[in-house]
Amino acid sequence: MGKHLIRDFKRWFSSQLLKQKVRYLFLAIIAMYLILFVLISFFSLKENMMSYTLNNNQKTMISIGNNLKNEISTINSMSQLLMTNRDIITYLQSENFPRSLSSHRATTAMYDITNSFDHITSVYLYRLNKEYVHIAKGITWVYMEVLEDEEWLREINDKNGGYVIRIDGGGAYRSKSGEPLISFIRLVNDLDTQKPMGLLVINLSVSLLKDSYKDMESSDKQFYYFDKDFQHINTGHELPALEQFKPTYAPYHQVTVGAFGKEQVLSFYQIPDTPFILAGIEKMSYIRFIPSETIWIIVSLVALTLFSLVLIGIFITVYITNPIERLVQSMDKSKTGWLKRVSLPLPDDEIGHLKNSYNNMLIEINKLINELIEKEKKTQQAELNALQEQIKPHFLYNTLDTIAYLALQESSEKVYDAIETLGNFYRRFLSKGSSEIPLLEEIHIVKDYLKLQKLRYDDIFDDEYLLEEDILSIKIPKLILQPLVENSLYHGVRPKGERCVIRISARRMENWIYISVYDNGVGMSQEKLSTIMMDNNRSFGFKGTIERIQCYYGREDVYKVVSEEGLYTEVTLKIPL
Amino acid sequence: MYKVMIIDDERAIRNLLKITIQNQELDLEIAGEASSGIEAINTIDSIKPDIVFVDIRMPFMDGIEFSKLAIQRYPKLKIIILTAYDDFEYARSCIGIGVSAYLLKPISRTEIRETLLKVIEQHKVEKRDEDEDNIEEDNCSIAKIKEYIMKNYMEPDINLTSIAQHFCFNTCYLSRMFKQKTGMGLSDFLMKCRMERAIIYARKGTRMYLTAKEVGIPDPNYFSKCFKKYTGKLYSEYAKQDANRAENES
Repeated sequence: MGKHLIRDFKRWFSSQLLKQKVRYLFLAIIAMYLILFVLISFFSLKENMMSYTLNNNQKTMISIGNNLKNEISTINSMSQLLMTNRDIITYLQSENFPRSLSSHRATTAMYDITNSFDHITSVYLYRLNKEYVHIAKGITWVYMEVLEDEEWLREINDKNGGYVIRIDGGGAYRSKSGEPLISFIRLVNDLDTQKPMGLLVINLSVSLLKDSYKDMESSDKQFYYFDKDFQHINTGHELPALEQFKPTYAPYHQVTVGAFGKEQVLSFYQIPDTPFILAGIEKMSYIRFIPSETIWIIVSLVALTLFSLVLIGIFITVYITNPIERLVQSMDKSKTGWLKRVSLPLPDDEIGHLKNSYNNMLIEINKLINELIEKEKKTQQAELNALQEQIKPHFLYNTLDTIAYLALQESSEKVYDAIETLGNFYRRFLSKGSSEIPLLEEIHIVKDYLKLQKLRYDDIFDDEYLLEEDILSIKIPKLILQPLVENSLYHGVRPKGERCVIRISARRMENWIYISVYDNGVGMSQEKLSTIMMDNNRSFGFKGTIERIQCYYGREDVYKVVSEEGLYTEVTLKIPL
Repeated sequence: MYKVMIIDDERAIRNLLKITIQNQELDLEIAGEASSGIEAINTIDSIKPDIVFVDIRMPFMDGIEFSKLAIQRYPKLKIIILTAYDDFEYARSCIGIGVSAYLLKPISRTEIRETLLKVIEQHKVEKRDEDEDNIEEDNCSIAKIKEYIMKNYMEPDINLTSIAQHFCFNTCYLSRMFKQKTGMGLSDFLMKCRMERAIIYARKGTRMYLTAKEVGIPDPNYFSKCFKKYTGKLYSEYAKQDANRAENES
């Protein structure tokens, strides 16, 4: 399946135009680049941001915890001030009345001491006989029965002078406003005997807690306090409706929740030595973590890259694909007919060279086509010539007249002989239209032809034949000897005015057969020799015959002419076996 | 009685024509024949034909060339061209130069008869409005004519008529006058010039066909005939004899 898809894709891609390919390639590169860039930056950023956020968060939480502890230790210090105050000790130790004075003094001392501390809502000082003095801002209800509960006292007694912190005094106090109270409770011991002499309860408002995270809070970051029992202590924020928002006993605990881009970090910190669990919710913000310079650099890098890609794309389009497209369009025209050369203004680079090479190639091809046409024409002309040779009416009519004369004046024997020869000649001459005949047949044609010519022109020549027997059956193109012999007679022998010899010889040498026609007629001058293959020499019939042989064997070197003016001419055909 | 001359390079055809014409039993006489245009030019003045049969295809001087010359020199002469079918276009161009008729080979007796009758009719018409040429007295000396002949004998197309035309003589008058003054016919004088020259070439061993061309008889067959008639020997014998003599002398 996958292989199939890849193969289909490859086929599709290779079938696209070059221009399209470049476009697709560039789109792919740009897309890949962007995706890669986004992924890399996003994940590394997220990773960094996460660890940074988590780290930072923990520090913040610890710092808030420390703030709270500091506050508590301040309260502790204050409580110690109270416990060491003479008036308070006096109030606790005085056995007898009048206690009003001592209670009054103790209250005053409490006022004096607590005055300079924040968050204090109320302070209760109990004697062992349940008598107590208190100071308060606002109204606080006290549930005395809770104070007498053994359970309630146990931990405080166990601490033996150490403090215990409870929300709403463990149920003993409640502010009228409903705001939770943080009760700081401890036994007051005699300095000398270390025996308990009273109980000190300092109720603090939730502003103590609020102040601990006041500086850390922002719109992205909220903090909440829980007590040991995971009960939310209302400090003014509503609890977010998050399922995962459940504190645990672990000293420090962090969870990341929320969908991509809306992640929130939930963290829980059990503040040591206190009954409080601090919870924080922080929304992740990416921008906050990336410096604006970095963003600028990244944006300009991306822009620069895109710009470069576009620039390269334009360059490729303008200088490579467009010229190629134009070249191809121009080349396509030649499909419709004759091969035309491309004339386009193209840059003088590889594409320009391509055009030039193409044009040169076209010139070559056109030349070859022309040559081919020329050759075809020649072949057809040669065939036509051969046909015309076959007809030879002039020869036939003249011979008929000659025979007519013989019939009138000579013996019927001679007439019969002449008619027989003429019949034989034409039978072989026409030879069922086949284009090649055995050499022997061709020799017979020549013999009959010369015999008939002797009748016409009296005995102005003798014909001789020098033939190697074993090559007489070899096939040669028809009528290649007769025209040569005719030439010998008309252009060699007759102009001489003397009795001449026409000699036909055929011999074999290696893989060639040499057939020559020799006559000791007037011969040819060098000039005339050089013109016999020229076009204007049609009457010779020589050129046509040679071209026919050349076409037939597909080679140029099929003949040789040797001649000496006034002495002889010899035409030799060289025919491959 | 009209005189007929037959010019064809094939003896058989000449003979065939001769027989055919004689068999027609028209008022015709075969006055002479020639085997080439060259021979015809040299003999036509003595034969004085009224009708000429000429083959279109002949070596050295073909039928067309001969016809052109003949029409110019013998305006009354009727020329009948003989041709084979493949020269038809060529033959048609002959009509343009004033040839009377053309005949296709192979020879057909009916055609020959019809053509001859037509030509004879033409002759009869022309003869009626013909006047005898006046013989003009001329002071031009025979010496001048001799000089002209000796200068131009190598031109193959000169004959009695062309010389007479050149000097503005009547042909018969010139012939008669030349014979009176020199004791020799003009044609014989021309031939003598040519043959004397040919003997010189023969002694040099020049090939016959070349000598023939040089002395104005480019048909070697006719030249050889003339040479034998003039010297009583064959050209080859003459050349051989001379070569032997040259050998003996050295």
